[in-house]
Amino acid sequence: MLRLTKTHVSPSAPGSGASRRTLGFRAAAVAAALPLVLAACGGTDEGAVAEDGTWSPSQPIEITAPAATGGGWDTLARTSARLLEEEELVDDSVQVVNKPGAGGAIGWGYIANNAGDPHKLFVTSPPILLVPMAGDSDYDHEDFTPVARLATDYMVYLVAADSPVETFDDLAAQVESGDMSVGGGSGPGSMDHVALAGALEAAGADATQANYIPFDGGGEALTSLLGGHVDGAVVGVGEALGMLESGDVRAVGVSSAERVDAVADVPTLQEQDIDFTFDIWRGVMAPSDLSEAQVAYYETLFADLMDTEAWQTESARLGWTDAYQDSEEFGAFLDETREEFAQILTEVGLQ
Amino acid sequence: MSEHTTARRDGAPAEGAAPGRPRGARTPRTPILPEQAFRFSPRTLGIAVAVFAIGYLALAFQMPDYTAVSVPVQPSTLPRWLGVALLVLAVLLFFQRRPPEETAPEPASGSAGSGSGDGPGIEGAEAAETAEEPAVQAQEGGEPRLGRLDDPRLEIGLFVGALVAYIAVFELLGFILSTALYLGSMTWYLGYRRHLVNAVVALTLPFAFYAGMTWGLDVTLPSGPLPF
Amino acid sequence: MGMLDQLMYGFGIALTPENLLYVFIGVLAGTIIGMLPGLGPMSAIALMIPIAYGMDPTSAIIMLAGVYYGAIFGGSTSSILLNAPGVAGTVATSFDGYPMALKGQAGKALAIAAICSFVGGTISVVGLMAIAPSLASFAVSFGPVEYFALMVLGLTAVVSLGGRNLVKGLIAAVVGVMIALVGIDSQTAIVRFTFDLPELYEGVEFLIVALGVFALAEVLVMLNQRGQGGVRKGVTSLRLSRREIAQITPPALRSSVLGFFTGVLPGAGATVASFLSYSMEKKIARDGDTFGQGNPKGVAAPEAANNAAAVGSFVPLMTLGVPGSGTTAILLGALMVLGVQPGPMMLSENPDMFWGVVASMYIGSVVLLILNLPLIPLFAKVLNTPRTMLVPLVVVFCVVGVYGLSFSVFDLGMLAAFGVIGFLMRRNGFPAAPLILGLILGGLMETNMRRALQISDGAWSVFLTEPISAGLLAVALLSMLPALVRVLRRRRTGIEPAEPSAPTAGTGDASEEAAPTGEDDAREESRDRAEAGSATAPGTGAASGTGSGPDGQAAPRD
Repeated sequence: MLRLTKTHVSPSAPGSGASRRTLGFRAAAVAAALPLVLAACGGTDEGAVAEDGTWSPSQPIEITAPAATGGGWDTLARTSARLLEEEELVDDSVQVVNKPGAGGAIGWGYIANNAGDPHKLFVTSPPILLVPMAGDSDYDHEDFTPVARLATDYMVYLVAADSPVETFDDLAAQVESGDMSVGGGSGPGSMDHVALAGALEAAGADATQANYIPFDGGGEALTSLLGGHVDGAVVGVGEALGMLESGDVRAVGVSSAERVDAVADVPTLQEQDIDFTFDIWRGVMAPSDLSEAQVAYYETLFADLMDTEAWQTESARLGWTDAYQDSEEFGAFLDETREEFAQILTEVGLQ
Repeated sequence: MSEHTTARRDGAPAEGAAPGRPRGARTPRTPILPEQAFRFSPRTLGIAVAVFAIGYLALAFQMPDYTAVSVPVQPSTLPRWLGVALLVLAVLLFFQRRPPEETAPEPASGSAGSGSGDGPGIEGAEAAETAEEPAVQAQEGGEPRLGRLDDPRLEIGLFVGALVAYIAVFELLGFILSTALYLGSMTWYLGYRRHLVNAVVALTLPFAFYAGMTWGLDVTLPSGPLPF
Repeated sequence: MGMLDQLMYGFGIALTPENLLYVFIGVLAGTIIGMLPGLGPMSAIALMIPIAYGMDPTSAIIMLAGVYYGAIFGGSTSSILLNAPGVAGTVATSFDGYPMALKGQAGKALAIAAICSFVGGTISVVGLMAIAPSLASFAVSFGPVEYFALMVLGLTAVVSLGGRNLVKGLIAAVVGVMIALVGIDSQTAIVRFTFDLPELYEGVEFLIVALGVFALAEVLVMLNQRGQGGVRKGVTSLRLSRREIAQITPPALRSSVLGFFTGVLPGAGATVASFLSYSMEKKIARDGDTFGQGNPKGVAAPEAANNAAAVGSFVPLMTLGVPGSGTTAILLGALMVLGVQPGPMMLSENPDMFWGVVASMYIGSVVLLILNLPLIPLFAKVLNTPRTMLVPLVVVFCVVGVYGLSFSVFDLGMLAAFGVIGFLMRRNGFPAAPLILGLILGGLMETNMRRALQISDGAWSVFLTEPISAGLLAVALLSMLPALVRVLRRRRTGIEPAEPSAPTAGTGDASEEAAPTGEDDAREESRDRAEAGSATAPGTGAASGTGSGPDGQAAPRD
């Protein structure tokens, strides 16, 4: 309980209230692959490289979720693992390991200690950039091999159903005047805050004036909005779906480039002449020092996975939009995004 | 977190346990009563808590303020209040009246010092043990008393030492080996006399636990040098 | 009466033989997992999710409800038998459950726990059925301001939990809050009291402290006493006398209601509920002095409350789609995997599922009772283990619990340190309960206070102008008055209580073993009794505590 209420950066995702407040949750679902892996530690079997230079795994693949069960990372890890097995894309099994702690830093440390091991993947999202920027992780994205970006989710900017605020510009003006507090699901300088501050700056408002209230998860921010304790909230689309449908809250903007199917009546920021987009992208990374053949194997594996009908069904249910990028594109995207985040954080005065 | 208690543990027992008593007066035939061990006067406790509070306050006042966004309550605000509150409480504790038990030392419970007084102490304990045992057995249904040493302070120290050793080799030797060692030796040391039962439990229980947790529940305990 | 029809329909689904088998399996698995160190309902459910994947959604939910109840009960079992609370919600149970076990009433304590869990579950399922939709507005009426006030109210329990030496109780509570503040500050990301150790960035895990200051400290105390006194062998029957039932019924009912409403609040949950109800009952009870020494009411109250709160936490989940606790967060994930999307639309769009869940939760609690009552004597056999073997086993139990939590040897070191700290506290009359209370509520209190002030731009008056908050703070103040008056009166008269001289082995040790209150309590209590004109001899006060009749006079019973 104490641990997770202090997590100041964590993945935002459908149902990610879970990821942020898993009261005293123990890393229960550590996969059974671990004893094998531990036993093999040191003399890792590097897998088989075939004559034509392609590579395939010789052990069960292990996907680490650097968070507790139930959160966004865990959902992605478990969904992929299950579908990879069900769709028989892998010969062996796929195990999910949870390494919660320090907003992901504990899990990243674990992967970093296994450099060159091609059987250990981990799921990732914006905190891999934001947490190291805040100085809370010894490793950043450059210490790992990008494998593929899979899907993305977006932020919505919410107000109470009866609020006079109609557009994002209204919201920006209210926030700047100090009359409006906006709740988010993560600490200052983390994802939700960056999504708010970046949008405010793009709308021409002074983001340093924003009264951003950090909660332990988007769910808490939403209930506080419902109860009138805060005047606005910024959370992931998936988290807000239920309350948007029921009409309890109203969205004044979504951070995607084009309208999102699940909330088709919510205008994007760009439609409102605010040049800002924010992706809660989700991807897969691997330890450093992987060979090209190994990376190529996983690129194909995940591309194949996303082609399956089962993936389409799952991601629609979870409110994700497909956003595949291969290793190289994903790497470039990460570098770019980091620049952008750094700029926003500097403008808000958090860097 | 609580350096004061650790500090007390390191330095204080000899003096703290029997403050103001003549230290040299050894009564080797009498075991230290458990009522005396690790019990300190309000004065000692007050000082220990105060030292901790001052250390905490020093850290709290070094904590940087959060300046990026204006916040009405700094992260260091509550720690400072807490530190001050603890200091005040420590002062109150310091001036609490001492329980009569500690002001008037009973003649039977002389302090046997630590360290040097052990030799005769152990003998004394054993003598006392044999004398005591029938009574204890009658009362407790035949259970021997726990441990072997005369001085409960040494006994506790040894026990904690064994725990620390267990923890230290926990990942190195793996759960099964370290737990079997710890369980077997401690059960024997504490005085369990059915050695065969002890051996069987020490060998099978860690394995059962390991199998259940690691394979049954996916909570992976360290395997150590064992091949599974 | 559509609601009743729906519920009947729900029962119709849940009561097929196949589903009954699943709920049975679920309860059994949950109980066993819950008894294991460090594994609470949350982990139990997480562990069962993969099994639930392939099942029919209704059967899966029914099974998970069984796991949920079973795990909560399993946690109470280790609290009562070993003083080793595996989850936060059962800490308060150990306050009186373990002393009861020491007195040879382990069977009775476990039976009370099982029955009161059932009562709490039942009452709140009824509450869920009857008023869940309208409770959504209650759940959201609590914002940071109100949560702050609620946590303050919870912290006032220190006064009653802290034994009679208020200063020592307060010191323990302050240190508890201090521990809660270690780690990265959630409001500003500034690192506090971590000494640059990454292991501390996430704060100190509650379970490490609880196992240290309760279970490990208890083991050290046992060793220090040479294993004399303390655990009595032989487990008395489970049967409760009519008087005992009459005695625990009102607390169980009150605590169920309190627990339900506390559980409905997404930011509070089972732990806060169990502490609130425990301290409420301690204050209400005429024999409140004997709380902490094996009073059955002290088991009944938190057990009813934590189960009621567990069910109550389904209200925000099913009406708002917001998980009110870690466990419901995991359940939310499980429901989503099974194709059920809880939220504001669930009741209108998917009423069958809603009522199916409600019905299966109810069945889960019934099966728990039927299954576990016969198993209690088996569990209680643990206490028949010779202490020479039990002591190292409890240590292993704690080590596994903590290691399984974080897979970190550093945390094991902290466990040992907290064991020593807890032992020294016990030896010197510092109660451990306020430390745990400060640890659990302190962080929540600070976070909500700062959030509230952030929203109000630093205006402290919000805590008094918001009606709910003002009300809670007033109750907090009122609840402290009696204790403050007592302290002031004592100070004026200048009477310092006399320590019962050299406690005799049996009774003296029993009072020493009565973990949370320590000997100060016993000492003062005997004084109070003497003042009240009771004939109870000072030295036997603590040991005879449970025998106290309805008139509050503790007459020695044996």
